[in-house]
Amino acid sequence: MLIHFERTGGFAGLRTAVTLNTDTLPQDEARKLQEMADAAGFFNLPEKFPLPKRGADYFVYRLTVEKDGRKHTVEVSEPAVPAELRPLFQYLMKHAR
Amino acid sequence: MGKNKLVKIPSSEGIRGARRTQMTDRGPIMGIIPPHMMKELAKRGDQRQRDMALKTLLISERIRGRRDAFAQVYVAMPAGKKCINDYDAKNKEGEEYLPGNAIQDPESSNDMAVKEAYNGASATYDMYHDVFERNSIDDKGMCIISSLHYGEKYNNAFWNGRQMVYGDGDGEFFNRFTISIDVIGHELTHGVTEYEAGLYYSDQSGALNESISDVFGSLLKQRVLNQKADEADWLIGEGLFTSKVNGKALRSMIEPGTAYDDPKLGKDPQPAHMDDYQDMPHSEDNGGVHINSGIPNRAFCVTAIEIGGYAWEKAGKIWYATLSRLKETSDFQDAANKTFQAAGELFGDGSMEQQAVKKGWDTVGISVVPSAMRARAAAGAAAGATE
Ligand SMILES: [Zn+2]
Repeated sequence: MLIHFERTGGFAGLRTAVTLNTDTLPQDEARKLQEMADAAGFFNLPEKFPLPKRGADYFVYRLTVEKDGRKHTVEVSEPAVPAELRPLFQYLMKHAR
Repeated sequence: MGKNKLVKIPSSEGIRGARRTQMTDRGPIMGIIPPHMMKELAKRGDQRQRDMALKTLLISERIRGRRDAFAQVYVAMPAGKKCINDYDAKNKEGEEYLPGNAIQDPESSNDMAVKEAYNGASATYDMYHDVFERNSIDDKGMCIISSLHYGEKYNNAFWNGRQMVYGDGDGEFFNRFTISIDVIGHELTHGVTEYEAGLYYSDQSGALNESISDVFGSLLKQRVLNQKADEADWLIGEGLFTSKVNGKALRSMIEPGTAYDDPKLGKDPQPAHMDDYQDMPHSEDNGGVHINSGIPNRAFCVTAIEIGGYAWEKAGKIWYATLSRLKETSDFQDAANKTFQAAGELFGDGSMEQQAVKKGWDTVGISVVPSAMRARAAAGAAAGATE
């Protein structure tokens, strides 16, 4: 499983990103990632979540997952992040620079 | 010259007060509107109606000697009273955890973030009230809500459409987001802009939205520090970076693109001129709203320094008067034209202030088109089309 994650926007407008390959990760890390992606039902999530009608300075997330010949990208702004996806985002942010 | 020279207009005597007196000649109204309806108005009406209803109630309750009824309403909706509340998000992340636990007496808290958020929101309320005659974010006295300690090591502050939210920062690159008072003015102003202009938060209208928040955030800092335009640092988010970061702030309004240059965070990407405007995909910072804001930021800065004195007194008033004239899709050119027009109305066509606005926008490569010229051009185009 190949993961590319980036976060832009926010008050600082800085870009933070990380690319991870579960093949090169320690086994338990790889399993954890896989479980979080499954729990979020990632491949069934919409590509673009509706833009918030109000609000400003929220983060904008973009996550691409490639697995078994499938590739899916999800774009979502902070206020609209579904609760199922948040653990994965938080995990990835710990690895992102 | 005190900092409040042009400023201290008691709310009852200001523009709004004048409008109010005109519309609420209380003699006839007292007889027409029954007290129960007046109480509803005092609770739910707009600011003008509430003020009027409260005054009327005060008089009628005094006459009847029943002060308790008045007291009840007064607590519910005192006219022009500051309402500022802080909440603790307890390091949880997600809309579902907002606002969090209410904090008692935030102004005397030992928690720096709580205290800073309270004092910053209070100073912002004062600036809008005393300088721009605005009653809170919605101009109807709404309570200003801040949630602190949002998420874990969360590197952000944002406005979610209802309230302000502040993270603690990771401690590595970022300190707590309340540390810089202009950040608080910036976030609260997003609320004001939402009510007044409703600028779409993407691409150029989004960058304009961002710039307006930086402008009033910086004005707040300058007012608190009692600085004139040429004394101000015009930095946004000073103190937000830890000492490990090579940078003085997040943005520089006076020299966009020079705020930081760090091996890990990169270089401040803000353009200072339309020639360097960056077209970005929507997935990148909503189309670069925090990038291209450098252009109108500099236009304001140049205008304010050209006018001289305290920036909030003239340049700030021109920008504030422009807010309600903008629309969702307004771009930099529209802002330039309308600030020029507002300067003409406030200080006179051809006034030094209006020329300063023109110079500000010229500096960043935007030529203002006066409304008379726009009308002529439109008429010309229409005439051409019918020939
Ligand atoms: Zn902002």
